[in-house]
Amino acid sequence: MTSNGTPARRRGPAAWFGAGRRAAAPPSERVVFRWDLDKTYLLSEFESLREMMRIPFEKPEDKVAAPGVAALIRGLRESALGRGRAVRVYFLSASPPQIGRAIRRKLELDGIVYDGITFKDQLQRLFRGKFRHLREQVGYKLTELLKARSLEPETAREYLFGDDWESDPLIYSLYADIASGGLAPSDLAELLRGARVDPPLIAEAQQLATALAKREVVTRIFINLERPTPPAQLRAYGPRLVPTFNYFQTAACLFQDDVLSSDGVVRVARALVEDSHYEATQLENSLADIERRGHLTPATAASLRAALAAAGLLAPTPRRLSDRLFGPWHRDRRPKSTSAAMIDYRTLLGVQSAEGVAE
Amino acid sequence: MPAVAVDAMGGEHAPEEVVQAVAAVSLQTDIECVLVGDAGRLERLLESTAYNPERIALVHASESIAMNDEPRSAVRYKRKASLTLTLRQVASGRCVAAVSAGNPGAAIAASLRELTVLPQLHKAAMTSVYPRAVEHIGQDPLALVLDVGATVRCTAAELVQFAVMGATYARVISKVAEPRVALLNMGRDATQGDEVLIAAHRRLRELSAISFVGNIEGHELTSGRADVVVCEGLLGNIVLKLLESVASAAVDLTSAAAPRSWRLRAGMAIMAGGSERLRAQADYATYGGAPLLGFEQVFIKAHARSKAAAIANAVKVAAKAARDGLVPALKAALTETQ
Repeated sequence: MTSNGTPARRRGPAAWFGAGRRAAAPPSERVVFRWDLDKTYLLSEFESLREMMRIPFEKPEDKVAAPGVAALIRGLRESALGRGRAVRVYFLSASPPQIGRAIRRKLELDGIVYDGITFKDQLQRLFRGKFRHLREQVGYKLTELLKARSLEPETAREYLFGDDWESDPLIYSLYADIASGGLAPSDLAELLRGARVDPPLIAEAQQLATALAKREVVTRIFINLERPTPPAQLRAYGPRLVPTFNYFQTAACLFQDDVLSSDGVVRVARALVEDSHYEATQLENSLADIERRGHLTPATAASLRAALAAAGLLAPTPRRLSDRLFGPWHRDRRPKSTSAAMIDYRTLLGVQSAEGVAE
Repeated sequence: MPAVAVDAMGGEHAPEEVVQAVAAVSLQTDIECVLVGDAGRLERLLESTAYNPERIALVHASESIAMNDEPRSAVRYKRKASLTLTLRQVASGRCVAAVSAGNPGAAIAASLRELTVLPQLHKAAMTSVYPRAVEHIGQDPLALVLDVGATVRCTAAELVQFAVMGATYARVISKVAEPRVALLNMGRDATQGDEVLIAAHRRLRELSAISFVGNIEGHELTSGRADVVVCEGLLGNIVLKLLESVASAAVDLTSAAAPRSWRLRAGMAIMAGGSERLRAQADYATYGGAPLLGFEQVFIKAHARSKAAAIANAVKVAAKAARDGLVPALKAALTETQ
């Protein structure tokens, strides 16, 4: 399987002074950011039935966004527009439309400009007597993603943001592989049956998948480790999927992908420090963690450290003699490729069905 | 956010259990752990567990000291050993405390090399905790014994300093308002024992700063009579290992005898829950750690058999010791009793 997100392969040392970042997308290319809401944008508490019942009655000002997420979304839009790129921000939620007003107001309070928001019409399902599918996520989200994709230009590149609470890693990976042609529509039905998706939704997903122009459109999938899940558990989804523990780590990876400016990363870090009382060591440790896990090159991490130190968010780190002599070139490593490895969905679904994740 | 340096490669279950412990601490507390060891191996282990990366830093150490390494030469020649680099994190001020479950002899040798001995002190003391009977509600079920091996032979003055340090630790960390201190001896009489013990007894009795309850004999150790037991390193080490072996030896001997008698077998079956409780109570692998006292820095030595829960407790104790000002309290107490 090929990828649009392969690392820059410019020749000569000069290429490496670009801090190991990927080749920039052409300015004309549209960048699409698709966000899940609960546990990804919002720190929604629905561990118990009581907490779940409280959600519809929460006021917009009572809803809490994940630390740094609002600053990140604002930064992504600004970075794209600053480079003359068209940008779209969409939200896709499995919450009912009845809470839409509070959500829209919350996004407005956070200064988020978005281009669309989709809710799951739970009442309609209730009226149809489909109680079993009230909590079904895979079929609902996958069909909505496929429908939304057909409205975008073929060249639009996508970044998807979800969490580790339900089935976002599976849904987003299925969507990315269907869009790229790596997963044939004929194979989709069996997989969706394995995920216990509503049969009409299986047929709809197959139809949408067949109609879709095949192209590698999903560059990265970011999964917010809210539970937190061990990152190795998500390795089965390949290097395209990046598990992150906070939005500063996500911002650092997006900087490497050249869709967020270093100023955007600094603003996310500042939001964490000022609004969520993060300390400099927490930022430093987060950066070191995402670098160790291979999602960030040492050179990118070094340039971010310098930017954060200049902004007074990290203590300045003395440069090593070798760095002073050769710059970051000598110890640059390529970031993990974002191209999707062949994902063994059959095994994954077998495991997930047993755990009841898909249902 | 206090930072605690943790020797990831020290102990019989390292690095797996150490990484598990640090991961758990990162999720449960605001303590930052600096894991020192083979970075590649540690990263792979971390990725397979739930953790909070904001509270974990890794420092690479290319060498480690094994449990059966000769302590002094290991510390001398393995310059990049995880234990040495762990202590350097504290000596440099990057961390407020250190934890290791590694080779105890090497821990002492490396501490003497890397850490700073308190100015008023003659010798450092290694402490340990052991289970004892509780006389009243709220009493700590663990008593402190020192020295258990740092100073093999001691003078009377050194034993007095150990008593002062042990009492201070019990007051600051275990929150015992007036810790009762006893001197381990062969009888309760003040004139029993050798010259060192007789002199130490006299000096301790004259010391108003601590609550000295006199000599304590071996059979009284597990009673609730003393919160702190003082002895020289050689004796302390023997006592500690004997205490460790008693519970399991009792259970093992009874189990071995059981097949010969149906009455014993029936009795064992009835007592199964109790024996397990006894074994668990005496299991040092669950206790966490105890400090090496006498340095400007906090160093908690966990038992070599420690599992994740014990190491996590040791990290919490280390952070607590730094937070609650153990070292300034030790300095003040030693100055006061000089």
